[in-house]
Amino acid sequence: MSTATNLEVLYNPFIIVTLLYLLSSIWEVGRLTRPDRYSKLWAERLPIAAFLLHTVFLILLATRAGNVPITNLYEALILLSWCVVGVFTTVEYIYNVPSVGAFLFPIVTVLSICALYMKGNSLVAPPTLSKFWLIAHIVPLFMGYAAFTLTFVFSIMYLTQQRQLKHKTFGPVFHGLPSLERLDAMMWRALSFGFPLLTLGLVLGAFWMKYSNALGPQWYLDSKVVMGLVTWLFYAALLHLRVGVSMHGNKVAGLTIAAFILVLFTFLGTFFLGAQHGYLDASKEDSRLIIREFESKR
Amino acid sequence: MNLLVLGLNHKSAPVEVREQLAFSPSKVTEALELLRKRFPSCEAVILSTCNRVELYACSPDDSLNEEAVMDFLSAFHGTETDKFREHMYCYSGPELVRHLFHVSSSLDSMVVGESQIVSQVKEAYIAATSCEVTGKIMHQLFQQALAVAKAVHSNSRIAQGKVSISSVAVEFAEKIFQDFSDKTVFVIGAGEMAELVLKSLVEQGTRTVMVSNRSYDRAVNLAKEFGGRAVRFDDLASEIARADIVISSTAAPHYVLHPNHIKEAMLQRKGNPMFLIDIAVPRDINPEVGRLDNVYLYNIDDLQSVVSQNVDDRAKEMETCTVMVEKEVERFMHWLEEMKIGPTIANLREHFHAVGREELNRLRTKLGDVNDTQWQEVVYTMERTLNKLLHEPAKVGKQEAKNGSGHRYVETVKRLFGLHHTDRANLSISPRHDSNHKTELPSNPS
Repeated sequence: MSTATNLEVLYNPFIIVTLLYLLSSIWEVGRLTRPDRYSKLWAERLPIAAFLLHTVFLILLATRAGNVPITNLYEALILLSWCVVGVFTTVEYIYNVPSVGAFLFPIVTVLSICALYMKGNSLVAPPTLSKFWLIAHIVPLFMGYAAFTLTFVFSIMYLTQQRQLKHKTFGPVFHGLPSLERLDAMMWRALSFGFPLLTLGLVLGAFWMKYSNALGPQWYLDSKVVMGLVTWLFYAALLHLRVGVSMHGNKVAGLTIAAFILVLFTFLGTFFLGAQHGYLDASKEDSRLIIREFESKR
Repeated sequence: MNLLVLGLNHKSAPVEVREQLAFSPSKVTEALELLRKRFPSCEAVILSTCNRVELYACSPDDSLNEEAVMDFLSAFHGTETDKFREHMYCYSGPELVRHLFHVSSSLDSMVVGESQIVSQVKEAYIAATSCEVTGKIMHQLFQQALAVAKAVHSNSRIAQGKVSISSVAVEFAEKIFQDFSDKTVFVIGAGEMAELVLKSLVEQGTRTVMVSNRSYDRAVNLAKEFGGRAVRFDDLASEIARADIVISSTAAPHYVLHPNHIKEAMLQRKGNPMFLIDIAVPRDINPEVGRLDNVYLYNIDDLQSVVSQNVDDRAKEMETCTVMVEKEVERFMHWLEEMKIGPTIANLREHFHAVGREELNRLRTKLGDVNDTQWQEVVYTMERTLNKLLHEPAKVGKQEAKNGSGHRYVETVKRLFGLHHTDRANLSISPRHDSNHKTELPSNPS
């Protein structure tokens, strides 16, 4: 898999969005650690500006591709980071939990930088894929991933605060972080929002594969499908701990973090293991043939 | 103009002296009314709190000076001046402004950064305003003092961090629990400090209170006070799992709560955190308990060290705040200087225009037959000339005031243009002024 070179990264207009996310991260972290030095106004405005520009960029990508912007890994990452910020903004609006942005925007920034580097990636979605099923499979999954990103952020915040309270060493973020109870509740909310979406995305994906041939007859052996199932089982177990056994506290927070790492691996890691999950490698001759054939038919 | 403050505070005077001079709100009004009657042209504000008594006074002449204020205080409270004279401080000029700004920003308070003093200063100012003993100077001074206090509190960390054991305990509780209404506080041993912490927690919204004590009667009493339930000391272990917050302060010489008690309780609580405050010396809760998952144990030293840390942090912020205050002191002093030069510039203007009018009248009779439009032109030219001449002195005056040498400027202008007689129009004009006036006159065209 080839990736974008340094110069290509700089010429991509998405770099503006990335820079805005970077500035948002700096301001959000600054607000949390040195509230007297970083203005509240910028900490509020920068993320909004970044998100709006991101949305415009995504619409442009979608209109140009004439599809959900997921035809390659670059678009997929841009869509995922958009979902993450979108879900975060909604949660922020409804629940108004303080200081989440300081933990979330660095993650979004890293996702954006990853997206920039994936620009030249040779994996492309074959144009033969059904648009309807693609949307049905991807949208709930990505929303679910976004919710899981939030559970991860809440867990990190929980463990940070828990550590300070336990060891009685109070850093600069102690005052800015919400209470353990609140973070625990938010973790649970995000989890119970993400899990049905993950389930829906996986089930729809399975239906799709049963009736089409995008992954071949043994689609269920695709490593991404297998990892998806493992992730689902892990989250199901986590939910059982929360709802069934009613577990709270630091152990659950730790498990939530582990679950998110599993999500990351399912989403990105499988590609590095060589799985293509429906994508074609455009650098290979036979893939180019398929694409060209489709183009000529159209 | 004479602006001064006379007062004493917790640093300069013991409580026995402070209480003798303290004013209750009604006494403040009474004293201000009395001041207004005795010194009709003066401005005054009385600030009386449990830590300080201060009288801010401003008189156009020297009638309300240090001695007069001292006498007034002693007469009003019926104490001899000798009893409090040595504890009094008296400031004027920039020291006064600095002092008031430090007081209002709570940099001069016993607990630095406390917020109560701002409202006390505000009340003192409002009381003085409603008694009509405030004027231009006091309005500016106190409004600026309140603005400074606000700026200092919001732009520094002077008011951050709790500085009492019970407020620190509550702060920790707030970082563990969000909603206190469904939480249970369990108090073991009915000490004074425990009661204080319990009170703060109840103020936060805690509704369920359980009390356990070696002497069951005392437990019942305390429980009754907070609408709670008394628990027999022997049932402690079985009841402890219900508690979200435990405050322990028994006089027991050994540990009362052991790791196995809490381990058992935590199993029942399914990871829901438990916050234990051990304020007993010797300690009641085995420190090993603190190692258990989701258990947060704080002893008196932990809380005390946070308190000291916060006090230190506030002290460190003092420097930043002092710089902020200093800028505002400078600003007020500029304003005051400008206030001083204002009347002088007005006098100068009036003087120039009077001379102009005089000369125009002379010209009018000399010229005899002039038509109205032409005469209007002449008058306009004269006014324009005078205003042009006055522009520079007025500008320089404002600059001088900014540099703090407004007083010298006023003196110079008065001497140069012989303005003293307009100042004291009601007083007899000394011969010296007359001769001055004459030496000035030849510069006018005759």
